[in-house]
Amino acid sequence: MTYLKTALLAATAIAAAAPAMAEWAPSRPIEFVVASGAGGGTDNFARTIQATLNREGIIDNSVVVLNKGGGSGAEAFLYAMQNEGDAHKLIFGTNNAYLLPHVAQMAYSMENLDPVAALALDEFLIWVKADAPYETAADFIEAAKAEPGSVTFGGSQSKDTDETLVSLIEQTTGAEFKYVPFNGGGEVGVQLAGGHVDAHVNNPNEALGQWQSGAIRPLCVFSPERMAESDPIHDGKGWHDIPTCQESGVDIASYRMPRTVWMPAGADAEAKAFYTKALRNVAESDAWQEYLNKTSQTGVFLSGEELSQFITENETSAVEVFAAEGWTSQ
Amino acid sequence: MTVRRFHAEIGTALATGAVGATAAIGAVGLGYGWEERGPQPGYFPFYVGLILIAASIWNMVSAFAAHRQATAHAEATGETEEPFLEREHLDRIGRFIGAMIVFVIATLFLGIYVGSTGYIAYSAWRQGKYRPISALAMGAGFAVSLYVIFEVIFKIPLLKGPIEPLLGIY
Amino acid sequence: MGNFDLLMQGFGVAITPMHLLLMVAGVLMGLVVGVLPGLGAPNGVSLLIPLTFSLDPTSAIILLSSMYWGALFGGSTTSILFNIPGEPSSVATTFDGYPMARSGESTRALTLAFMSAGIGALTGVIVITLLAGWASNFALRFGAPEYFAVYFLAFAAFIGMGSAAPMKTMVALTTGLLLSTVGMDTITGSVRLTFGYSELLSGISFLVVVIGLFGIGELLSTVQEGLRFRGVASKIDLRDVLKTIGELPRYWATSLRSALIGIWMGITPGGPTAASFMSYGIARSASRKGKAFGTGRPEGIIAPETADHSAGSCAMLPMLALGVPSSATAAVMMGGLMIWGLTPGPMLFATKPDFVWGLIASMYVSNLIGVVLVLATVPMFAALLRIPFAIIGPMIVAICFVGAYTVSNSTFDLWLVLLFGMVGYLFSKLDYPIAPLVLAMVLGHKAENAFHQSMVLSDGSLAIFFANPLVSAIMVVGIALLVVPKLLAFGSRFRRRIPVE
Repeated sequence: MTYLKTALLAATAIAAAAPAMAEWAPSRPIEFVVASGAGGGTDNFARTIQATLNREGIIDNSVVVLNKGGGSGAEAFLYAMQNEGDAHKLIFGTNNAYLLPHVAQMAYSMENLDPVAALALDEFLIWVKADAPYETAADFIEAAKAEPGSVTFGGSQSKDTDETLVSLIEQTTGAEFKYVPFNGGGEVGVQLAGGHVDAHVNNPNEALGQWQSGAIRPLCVFSPERMAESDPIHDGKGWHDIPTCQESGVDIASYRMPRTVWMPAGADAEAKAFYTKALRNVAESDAWQEYLNKTSQTGVFLSGEELSQFITENETSAVEVFAAEGWTSQ
Repeated sequence: MTVRRFHAEIGTALATGAVGATAAIGAVGLGYGWEERGPQPGYFPFYVGLILIAASIWNMVSAFAAHRQATAHAEATGETEEPFLEREHLDRIGRFIGAMIVFVIATLFLGIYVGSTGYIAYSAWRQGKYRPISALAMGAGFAVSLYVIFEVIFKIPLLKGPIEPLLGIY
Repeated sequence: MGNFDLLMQGFGVAITPMHLLLMVAGVLMGLVVGVLPGLGAPNGVSLLIPLTFSLDPTSAIILLSSMYWGALFGGSTTSILFNIPGEPSSVATTFDGYPMARSGESTRALTLAFMSAGIGALTGVIVITLLAGWASNFALRFGAPEYFAVYFLAFAAFIGMGSAAPMKTMVALTTGLLLSTVGMDTITGSVRLTFGYSELLSGISFLVVVIGLFGIGELLSTVQEGLRFRGVASKIDLRDVLKTIGELPRYWATSLRSALIGIWMGITPGGPTAASFMSYGIARSASRKGKAFGTGRPEGIIAPETADHSAGSCAMLPMLALGVPSSATAAVMMGGLMIWGLTPGPMLFATKPDFVWGLIASMYVSNLIGVVLVLATVPMFAALLRIPFAIIGPMIVAICFVGAYTVSNSTFDLWLVLLFGMVGYLFSKLDYPIAPLVLAMVLGHKAENAFHQSMVLSDGSLAIFFANPLVSAIMVVGIALLVVPKLLAFGSRFRRRIPVE
């Protein structure tokens, strides 16, 4: 169980940092600033943490959730910049926090954000319509190679995680796709079910409903090992039966989106320790495990040095793709 | 001073034309051409901006035409051209907008609660001719009901200034 | 009649004392958020989501959806009484609702609005009940070109028969389009027309502009004409209410047409706001005689309200059956569903019939509760109009600014409200129509996105808009709506001229 291992690692990291931690506690309502609109994946992430914190009695202070999803989430990070040093604000995002400044000119930079923790990794899969001619990911790639630009990939927004992954597939395999950006995963899902695009790379949670009904099916998952066992979802197959993309001949070992929590830079170190501990309690709760199962995400708990390392790696590999595609704004 | 409709028409046409020009200039920097994969990001703003400029010029020309006709009519009949705002109206509007601007600035520095208390109390006192104390009560009552509806019931934080924390409200 | 049995079973789930109580509570809370500009239904619903964790999913969705209905009703109240739309989708209701209320018929205006809203909602629910499976398949046929065609149709329906000077309409329309392009563009990923202001990154909020144009703009007009409120004090007289209900059957054609438009726009993600505008525009072009629209025509209230509510209730269908929310509120509720562990999608109907049909049944009941409650609260709002202007005027100003602030907690928006307040005043004094600006802000960016996606799909060929019967039909209707009224006007002028010459 990677989850347990990471949790354990994190626990030791916290224990080592314990002497520095004094009694900081929030003195007023805490603001959860969500870098997505209401109802999005990031919003559910933040609201689940909010509910868990209060229900499990981890934090007694009241928590106020603010949605600032404008500009692909940049609005939330700009808000963090404007509230430098405020220890009563937590920002909830994905890897957009550190990737956005690379593709668009942003007034904020990573200097303005202090990473607190990452609590989950969302998987990406290649999905095609149920009646599509491709049986495996390799078939699919071959079809795209045979007629460059004829296979369309729908995705959520442009120069964001979805398009980055599609570009990464292109760069790794030499296939050429046509990428069509839509406004969100749900919209893309319907476009695929209606046959208006040929494939998408939605997260498990976004695609589950369509898979259950047999409208679409997965080809492979971009994770180092197969996903956890689950009840059969359609046609006797569950999450664990989906091959990894590497198994099926697409040489991308891992492409996952972390669900991250940040603080405005310059906030009290003790406050950060307080939140890290609180979030770790959340990550260990049953309610959190239930959320991960429901949304088919992989549980992790990254904080401190581990988190910085993860961010650096994730950022470097994404920026390579950006550079190859000529997206970098600087 | 009386503002004539003609002046207002010209001013508005100039302003809308300027909006169009700003957009078109901003769009040039984004690329306004047509690529292989459809329009560039500046395509729509650029052409829509041009249309806006053209429509504004049209409106300005027709305002001039209407003005010439009205002046000719005024000379012929001795009536003056239709005024846009009488002095009295201008005064009233000016005072109302002035109070509103002061309210916005006060809100930026002192928060919405203090700003709206002051604004409502001032209006009730000066325009409504209420006694200062009852005017103040109205303002404060309004601010309290805002607080109850937004912060207590719906948990939406409103803009606060330096005074609320002193009262223990965050 | 499988669906009918399921519905009856749903009523069994929905009608329990606990659920009725939740409906009443939801509708009441919805009325409050609907009445306050800025604090809209999406906002209210997302705040309730954490509270629903302790409820079972069926009770939770009943609470949330009831709040949505309440907000839709509440939004119309302030549109009619104060010319301030509480919800984006009730903007079109101001066009005729406010003039009617000002001419002393506020009871009639409100009754028309609430009854049409109720009729719209019920028609929508009936369609959901009967056609759940068919309708979601229909929605699947809509790709990017079809969406563009729908938005084009909405524009065409609304613009085709404007009464204002064409170039002034053009100015309003293009200004709206430009405002809608500000900020980050999701399709190209580029940041447009922000001129370095990071406040503009997320775009100019449509709500903030509407609050300024309508709310503050209207107050300025009031002030100019002396510090009196032009809204007429309204007492709800039961006889007036009944008389108005009696006149409703006369407008059956408008109601039916508007309900159909609403159902269509609710199922294909056009949304209630687009539906209400489109329906208003079509009602205007369809009317041949009588008072001009915009002066208090009953059809001018019935059309947008019916369409708004039928779209609102039909928006639940694609959310449940496809996982596509066609309104902002539906998006939030879908988030709730996922948190409760339900997966929206075609299988939801099969795996959770109690939930789905309980919700559908509750929509019948809570909309009835909504009509009754909203009629009951009218005297309260009417009493507000009797407060002297020197007090209520500044209070409305303050509420407008508070509302604008809560949209995205940005102080920049306060300045925007001030600016657009003056623009709204100036525009209405100089006979620039405001409605095209608002419509362009709502649909402009969506239309542009759909156009862009179509171009990517077709490698830049415009033929994609006539590539299949569905998209061609919508485009042809749109072009007809745009061109035919002009031709008719031209033709009648021509015919009139012949005898003279």
